[in-house]
Amino acid sequence: MRKVFVAVINAYQKWISPAFPARCKYYPSCSAYAASAISHYGLRGVAMSIWRLMRCNPWSHGGVDYAVKNQTNSSQKTSVGVH
Amino acid sequence: MGVILDPLYNLVSGVIILFHNLLRPIFGTDSGVTWSLSIVGLVICIRIVLIPLFVKQIKSQRALTALQPQMKAIQNKYKDDRQKQSEEMMKLYKEHKTNPLASCFPILAQAPIFFALFTVLNGIAAKTPEGVSAPIARGFLKGDYLDSAAQATFFGAKISQSFLGSPDTTVKIVTVILIFVMSATTFTTQRQLMVKGMPKMDSSNNMMLQQQKIMLYLFPVIFAISGVNFPVGVLIYWSTTNFWTWGQQFYVIKRNPTPGSPAYEELERKRAHKNKEDKRGASGTVIDPENTEPGQNSQEGEVKGQRKQPKKKKKK
Repeated sequence: MRKVFVAVINAYQKWISPAFPARCKYYPSCSAYAASAISHYGLRGVAMSIWRLMRCNPWSHGGVDYAVKNQTNSSQKTSVGVH
Repeated sequence: MGVILDPLYNLVSGVIILFHNLLRPIFGTDSGVTWSLSIVGLVICIRIVLIPLFVKQIKSQRALTALQPQMKAIQNKYKDDRQKQSEEMMKLYKEHKTNPLASCFPILAQAPIFFALFTVLNGIAAKTPEGVSAPIARGFLKGDYLDSAAQATFFGAKISQSFLGSPDTTVKIVTVILIFVMSATTFTTQRQLMVKGMPKMDSSNNMMLQQQKIMLYLFPVIFAISGVNFPVGVLIYWSTTNFWTWGQQFYVIKRNPTPGSPAYEELERKRAHKNKEDKRGASGTVIDPENTEPGQNSQEGEVKGQRKQPKKKKKK
């Protein structure tokens, strides 16, 4: 199940997201955050991702926010602001 | 599910009915023009509500000009580490409480509205399993309104029909044209932003740019695939909102472009040129001391012939 979620997110990152200007206020982007949260925490990761998306709103200032702490050099490849 | 969706159906159908009531004295109750323009009205309402968000984003993008030196420093310092570079950049934004990015949530927030419109319009075209027309009322779109909307046409195609759901040739032609319009507006908007609106990218961003270019051409195909399932009314909504996006972006790129973008440089050049002309026109080749800002007075001694134009001179 986790793999399905992550696959959908990866497909979004590869095919849909690049078509639009970068928009995410956080690093890593919401989609990268969701992928790592879900693969590490499962259902709890889904809730974390929804909460992250809610925080990525026009009034937030963004910042650096990893789903999994101490994951500074993960295999999750992300580029600036890709959402 | 109903708890979440019913208010959305009410909102979408309510706005459409409101515009319908406003417009029917002009175009007639059952006229397709009235119904089509009511959908356009819904788009205008939604986009007007979203304008403050857009302005906020533009403002924080402009605030970035002041951070330019720090951003350059970060880029140079972490040239070979994209991750660290992005992290430091985000930290910088946060520190100065300004973030030029649009944020993810607003796009997602629009999706339910779009879905509600889709369902409301599909309800109009609903049929029994035997193929007899049996419109489903959703929100305020019921009774006489529902019957009227079920008959409404847009250039001869019923607004509740879709390419795949109708054998009618007119519907097929109209949906194809609308899908084309949708693709074309998205394409131009994206291209305009890529060519003129974004700061010039360095080589490290080339791959991303390349990917964006591929998407630019792939997107019309994606639209064509999804568009054949959408009723004409939804396609009207989509096309209109695309036109709005394009116009909004056109205005910003022309009047208030992102610092560092080609459009910005062009505007700077134009302003510099115009300043020069204004001053020449006012007092020959010499600058009129009364027209210059106080800070510039120190330069007056060397104001002869081609002097460098002050960069921060504001027009209007």
